[in-house]
Amino acid sequence: MSVPANAGATAARTWDPAAAEASLRDDCAALVSRAASSGADQAEAFGVTSESISVCFEKGDLKLTQVDESRSFGVRVLRDQRLGFASSNQAAPVGSVDDALALAALCPPDEHHVLPEPRPLPERPSLVTPGATRFAIEDAVAAARDMVAAVRALDPRLSLDRADLDVTRSSLALVSSTGIAAAESDASVSLSLFGMAIDGDDVGGFDVAADFVRDPAELPAAVAAAVERFAAAALGNLGAGAGESYTGPVLFAPAAFQAVFLSPLIGALNAQAIQRGRSALAGRLGESLGSDLLTVVDDPSDRGLGGAASFDREGQPALPTTLVEAGVLAQVLHNAYSARVDGTTSTGHAMGGSRSVPGIGPHALVVSPGTGGSPDDLRAALGRGLVIQRFSGTVDPASGDFSGVAKSARWVEDGREVRPVRETLLQGNAFELLGRLAALSSMSESTMGRHRVPWALVDGVAVTAG
Amino acid sequence: MAAASDPSDLLYEVLQRVGDGFVELRYHGKRTRSVMVEQGRVDQAKIAEHSGVGVRVLADGTWGFASTDRLESGAVLRAVDAARRAAVSSAAARRERVSALPSVSLARGRFDAPGYDELAARPVEEALQLVLDAEARARGASTAVQSARASYAEVFEEKAVVTSDGAKAWTRLVRPEFSISAVAQGGGELQRAQESVGSTGAWDCLFGRHSAEAFAERAAGSAVDLLTARYPEGGRKRVILSPALVGLLTHEAIGHTVEADFVASGSCAAGKLGKRVGSELVTLCDSGVSEYAAGAGGTLFVDDEGVPAGRTEIIRQGVLTSYLHDRESAAAAGVAPTGNARAWEYDDEPLIRMRNTYIEPGESDLDAMIAGIDDGLILDGPRNGQADANGEFMFGTARAWPIRNGKRGELMRGVNISGIAFDVLASVDAVSRDFLWDLGSGHCGKGQPAKVDAGGPWLSCQVLVGGRNG
Repeated sequence: MSVPANAGATAARTWDPAAAEASLRDDCAALVSRAASSGADQAEAFGVTSESISVCFEKGDLKLTQVDESRSFGVRVLRDQRLGFASSNQAAPVGSVDDALALAALCPPDEHHVLPEPRPLPERPSLVTPGATRFAIEDAVAAARDMVAAVRALDPRLSLDRADLDVTRSSLALVSSTGIAAAESDASVSLSLFGMAIDGDDVGGFDVAADFVRDPAELPAAVAAAVERFAAAALGNLGAGAGESYTGPVLFAPAAFQAVFLSPLIGALNAQAIQRGRSALAGRLGESLGSDLLTVVDDPSDRGLGGAASFDREGQPALPTTLVEAGVLAQVLHNAYSARVDGTTSTGHAMGGSRSVPGIGPHALVVSPGTGGSPDDLRAALGRGLVIQRFSGTVDPASGDFSGVAKSARWVEDGREVRPVRETLLQGNAFELLGRLAALSSMSESTMGRHRVPWALVDGVAVTAG
Repeated sequence: MAAASDPSDLLYEVLQRVGDGFVELRYHGKRTRSVMVEQGRVDQAKIAEHSGVGVRVLADGTWGFASTDRLESGAVLRAVDAARRAAVSSAAARRERVSALPSVSLARGRFDAPGYDELAARPVEEALQLVLDAEARARGASTAVQSARASYAEVFEEKAVVTSDGAKAWTRLVRPEFSISAVAQGGGELQRAQESVGSTGAWDCLFGRHSAEAFAERAAGSAVDLLTARYPEGGRKRVILSPALVGLLTHEAIGHTVEADFVASGSCAAGKLGKRVGSELVTLCDSGVSEYAAGAGGTLFVDDEGVPAGRTEIIRQGVLTSYLHDRESAAAAGVAPTGNARAWEYDDEPLIRMRNTYIEPGESDLDAMIAGIDDGLILDGPRNGQADANGEFMFGTARAWPIRNGKRGELMRGVNISGIAFDVLASVDAVSRDFLWDLGSGHCGKGQPAKVDAGGPWLSCQVLVGGRNG
């Protein structure tokens, strides 16, 4: 249901997460009961309800204000070890149970399909702050307007293509025939700035800055920081020229390091990718990647990150998990299916929403900072070469091969940025080059509010300039 | 699978009760059936429904949007109230109020794309068996193949767009997609290859060029061949792009820069109407119609503002002739809307998006084009792509073949290529007489996904190639 009788009063009334969780749990339980009575051996229902306020500015002016409420359910059934799944956003979606069972009847059996048993969930403070429950349309519009005004006031050359501020309040619940009954709520305000700088005929490359907060009291600081990051990157892109071709060290800003190296690394540590023969890291658990600088933890207890949660998509506890320790591959990510294949228990990494069968993925990655000092110290260590802030390209999760364009890239001479560069391509293999990790900064940055990653100096990267 | 009935009359009745001002009601029913198989095991067998009504209101010169998943008069009326309140409560932040949209030609009637009923009647077990067979075919194609994965999805869409200024259109279409990938191992490394296809229509469109089994063998064969292939050297090179890559070029490098919202932000296409932006060999279009060949994946009859989705000539013989518009941007520019307003689902606002984007075929013969190049590459197999406001684009390619002295060499690994959009168009020196839609399994991302297609002929141009030995 999207808009109830008091729709539009999103701004006026206070959201009640406890009531939302209770209602969802009841509906999920009813779906599981229906599945059981219809012949399912096992059944799981996952429900999500959310309300949101979205304020969009384009070209510096308000474009649209949107309010939504939604509610959807996904039902997974197993019958004779055959899988069926259906989802719906319609009220009382009992038809989904029938759809899922009909699909299950068609599928071949798979002995690894099983729903997990209940396990104790960690007790953590609520992810919902009082301020987030009350944040209204007028608050969102004012915050977005101030954010846009701050960009405009900073430099007339800045051109915002789009600025968004979104308030999301959501509850989710999972009930299964194995005895799991879990629910949790979250509320946050997210912001993003997307645009470029224009100086006469010089149109700089796009850049984006984004963040999120759970407590609206932290929003002004987050906005100020995002505006500063966006302006620095966009203005710095003006006057870009050709870079130089070489193979050697490149300094990666946190977002670029995440895209080029963390993404394939986590993909290769997906247990199902290993089991199915599409991970280059298969059989390498306990081995070193070649550099002891890298430690990666998936930490769903970090309330500063968007992926914070107390349970996963299958109702299993979401606990801090060390994936790479001092360069050594320490742990793969499991959901219930992959865990059964390997004869172990789920690591709590079932991921996904109400519209799909759970997959596997991380909650909130935290890469431990190194001892390389500040980003400026790393520029000094680079000496001469390329700094890349974002990566736009292809990273093959199976092989680790990557190829793409360095965005918001800067050329460094004598340890200092001397000019922006464009039309510069990077290529290499992420798994090989992680062994040539030369330094990590002593501080980390949040990447779009999702992960926490330091700057990284990596040797051996092939750079092709236009 | 039962189709929804046309709710246009219900929405029209609601419109009579909502008072003055512009109101747009859009019912969007979306039902998806999909299966995914890997290593002979079914990982996904799914039926999903996501349906409802999106409401857009212009009040106090400001847009408000709300949605309901109930197709009932009362729920839609409440959504109208919610959208109106959202607009009014935020109007103070709007500097330039939107004046009433000018009268334009809006769609009325029923529009049915071919294939809907045929696919709706086709049992889902046929799709499941097709995917199981294709995955097994790829996995068994070579001992080097470690893994194969196949998926099929069909998305049934019904839309009713009713506006207070006259649109009343009901459309139905279905978009099936098939994808298969194989991972081969050898020499201590893995190589992955993928084949995918998508269309608007039934299986005769989807598998008109290759059967599912043929796609499976192509994916497996490519993965194995890539194990022993080398990387091309990087640098600025003359390349021949396949129709799929021409599609990616038209979409990523050109299409985004001519979307009127990007133009207003200062994209590199701003101020260039009527000016030469490419070789006179280049005529580039975006169309809701499946031009030249049936089944293009981005086909639609009516956009999500009720505007007929016809053909828009963006570049005619190298000269920029039009941007892509929604109603608001068209009104601001004093031109007719081009039918490019699209929303991914009922609870998404319509944005300016492409549909089927292509370069028109030319007069050259592909073999002659290859023979005319001393040192270059043939590139095929689209991967992801992105474009920047300054016209800098990047996209990935899966396969490459060197051209030396007019001869095509052995397969090499794909690379990413980059360039400045209009510089690349200016470098075009040959356009083949072929034509293919070949991006139908792709989705465009711009805040929300959009189903698009793109294609064209083979095309010779100059780009920056990202090589391993830079």
